[in-house]
Amino acid sequence: MTPKGLPIVNQIRRLRFEHGEMTQSELAEKIGMTRQTVAAIEAGKYSPSLEAAFRIAHVFGAGLDAVFQWEE
Amino acid sequence: MSFREKSAWITLLTVLACFGVYYGSIVTGRVSARGFDTLHLLALCVVGLVALQVTLTVIAAVTTPKDGRAPRDEREKLIQWRSHTIGYYVLVVLVLGLFIPGHLGHTVIDMMNFALLDVVLATLVVAVAQIVMFRRGA
Repeated sequence: MTPKGLPIVNQIRRLRFEHGEMTQSELAEKIGMTRQTVAAIEAGKYSPSLEAAFRIAHVFGAGLDAVFQWEE
Repeated sequence: MSFREKSAWITLLTVLACFGVYYGSIVTGRVSARGFDTLHLLALCVVGLVALQVTLTVIAAVTTPKDGRAPRDEREKLIQWRSHTIGYYVLVVLVLGLFIPGHLGHTVIDMMNFALLDVVLATLVVAVAQIVMFRRGA
């Protein structure tokens, strides 16, 4: 579970590390968001829209389910 | 700190400072609540508020150039929408509360000052709500 209690977890931190230690700022620039928003998504404090989720997955060349998972 | 959060802080501090001076002067009796002095002070405070906000916003944009030029992203839009919704309800309650001074027989000028205070308080609530949401993440 995320800190806010949302049942969505993500692998963004790991995927950033695996993609040349991409910074939050670099990811933010690629998906057209602020670094603070990427940090909030990564920390599970903010659930992105479906479009933003797809953008993030596209940056990592992965499917949506490889980045975000529903955890009961 | 993002540009939008800096903007919220700028709004909070400048509105507090400028209208703090205005209402502080009225409450302490430095200016008469019903004289032209009040009108002049109000004009001075509004001009000061605009000048301060423009100056500080330019400084904030210079220190965070990417954020300053970029449009709001979805989280920032959500924060803006939520904070304005909270501010709207606060304003409605405060405006409804204007019947109290009206019932107590205050003058039209007093009522205008109370109404302006309602707008100022709602603006402060919006800024505080934005800061809290930016700090909490969403």
